[in-house]
Amino acid sequence: MDFKAIFSIAKKEFIDNFRNKWIIILSIIFAILVVIISYFGSQGFGQDWSPLEDTISGLEGIVTLIIPIISLMLGYAAIVGEIEKGSMSSLLALPVNRCEIVIGKFLGLGSVICSTILIGFGISGIIIAINVPSSDYMPYLSFIGVSILLGLAFLSVSMFFSTLFKKRSAAMGGAFFLWFFFAIIWQIILVGILFATILSGDITESTSMPGWFFPFLLANPLMVFSAAGFPDAPSIYWRILSPILWIIIPLLLTFLRFEKKDT
Amino acid sequence: MTTKTVKCPKCKNEITVTGKPGEKIQIICPKCGSKGTFTFPQKNPEPKTTTDSFTIEVNNLTKKYNNFKAVDDVSFSVRSGEIFGFLGPNGAGKTTTIKSMLGLIYANSGEIKINGFDIKKRGKEAKKYIGYLPEKVAFYDNLTALQNMYFYAEMKTIPKEGCKPLIEEMGIGEAVNKKVGKFSKGMQQRLGMARALLGNPPILILDEPSGGLDPRGVALIRNKIREMKDKGSTVFVSSHILAEVQEVCDRVGIIDKGVLVAEDSVSKLSVKLNLKPKLIIELEKISEKIVESVKKVEGVEKVEAFGVMIHVTCNQKAKSKIIISVEKAGGDIVNIQTKEPSLEEVFMGFTEG
Repeated sequence: MDFKAIFSIAKKEFIDNFRNKWIIILSIIFAILVVIISYFGSQGFGQDWSPLEDTISGLEGIVTLIIPIISLMLGYAAIVGEIEKGSMSSLLALPVNRCEIVIGKFLGLGSVICSTILIGFGISGIIIAINVPSSDYMPYLSFIGVSILLGLAFLSVSMFFSTLFKKRSAAMGGAFFLWFFFAIIWQIILVGILFATILSGDITESTSMPGWFFPFLLANPLMVFSAAGFPDAPSIYWRILSPILWIIIPLLLTFLRFEKKDT
Repeated sequence: MTTKTVKCPKCKNEITVTGKPGEKIQIICPKCGSKGTFTFPQKNPEPKTTTDSFTIEVNNLTKKYNNFKAVDDVSFSVRSGEIFGFLGPNGAGKTTTIKSMLGLIYANSGEIKINGFDIKKRGKEAKKYIGYLPEKVAFYDNLTALQNMYFYAEMKTIPKEGCKPLIEEMGIGEAVNKKVGKFSKGMQQRLGMARALLGNPPILILDEPSGGLDPRGVALIRNKIREMKDKGSTVFVSSHILAEVQEVCDRVGIIDKGVLVAEDSVSKLSVKLNLKPKLIIELEKISEKIVESVKKVEGVEKVEAFGVMIHVTCNQKAKSKIIISVEKAGGDIVNIQTKEPSLEEVFMGFTEG
């Protein structure tokens, strides 16, 4: 493994994509929304409330909506875009192997996502700190960590799509379908099955969920946050297993697929 | 077994002995009876590149796309330090061959060695020696020309200082800090050549280097190719224009419909095919005397007169003599044109016939 080459590719991807106007626009939208929510979230609540947790649950919605879109935008063209454009030939003719290219791209694009998240949450962290002076920051920090994992998971999947399809446009279509599926369709199916077969009425603290429920729910990495809201929810360590597996497995598939690809 | 002639140190009698390399033998001189020992020299260790002087070796390369054979059992080798032209019409399999040579695509069968390294097994080592100009030149559009070059220099572990002068040498010095996304096709092609030349690679692989270039750019690239040869590089250049390749190449390979139809030196190929350029001279007035005097010039094969035009099929070297003889015979030259034999003629010579 040539770490210098991996670092060079990662650096190039970072500079290249941080100048991509779509990424800039999405990052700004993300930062603005985060700031708005953290400002209103940490303001105006009574003393009985736990302001930080409420703020975080407000931010969760923004993270699950926008971070996957940024990741998919960054990842879907990573391989197929370069092949279609022609720059992949020159990249592959350099003394580098394909595994290093995949890792370098993942790290470079991953740091774009990390930067977007850290900038947005850094600003909101300051706002929260001003408004809520005595707070335990651990939940906030672990929330940032999980957000990053979520971003990397969608990056990994979209990079796999980038090797799966022969056309950039098809990879983009696939990536956005995936987002739509996980963000919207998944919950409809799940809740549908749940109510039709097992439960009736509202879910309360005393309701116990069937055994298949949490594995099924967490197969969708976006559910890493909302899974916590159910009765007897698995601990955070079980929940983050989902995005971690969604990082590792598609990345491995990306490599296997790219290794065999004619470019 | 090796055979050596040994001289007796006493009586100068010569004896021929045979033995294995490294073997030590006792010799008794049949003439004076003096004894001595002789050790056969060890064979020279195998050079690193298994093949003596071939830099690029392609053996039985076949690449299929579905059922279509883009490259069909192609074999050729390029000697160290030569300029090898790879000729063929569009779609003949040139780019497929080149991409296989670089490990960009996977051949169905065959073996490719670059500097002795198998591209499939030891691709990373093999690619250290290569500078490559692809057919479709592309860069990272959001980065400037210099930033792009820095990236490639880093990947090749070459000092960055060489990047800027190289861009300037290719005649686009004014655009070093411009984003490549704003470059014209010709500028990208020039930058592509600069990228291929990074670090003075011992092997240069150029796929249609003059694509998208103006005549000045074409000349610039041709000079660069010669310059690299002088520096000792091996150059592999593909083209679909014979004249372009003819001038600079030591040897050429011709590929048509995926099959290599010829591999030879340029001069031998022209002799084989009897391809000669045609000189077309337009005159004020034509006379029998002019035609006759041209016919007498050495190297002239055929002279045809059409109205005020004469078409002369001749050697490359005879051209100036022909012009002189026309003027001596009293002809006023209005216009001169040379028509090089076209690649189509070459293909016809090889594929039918």
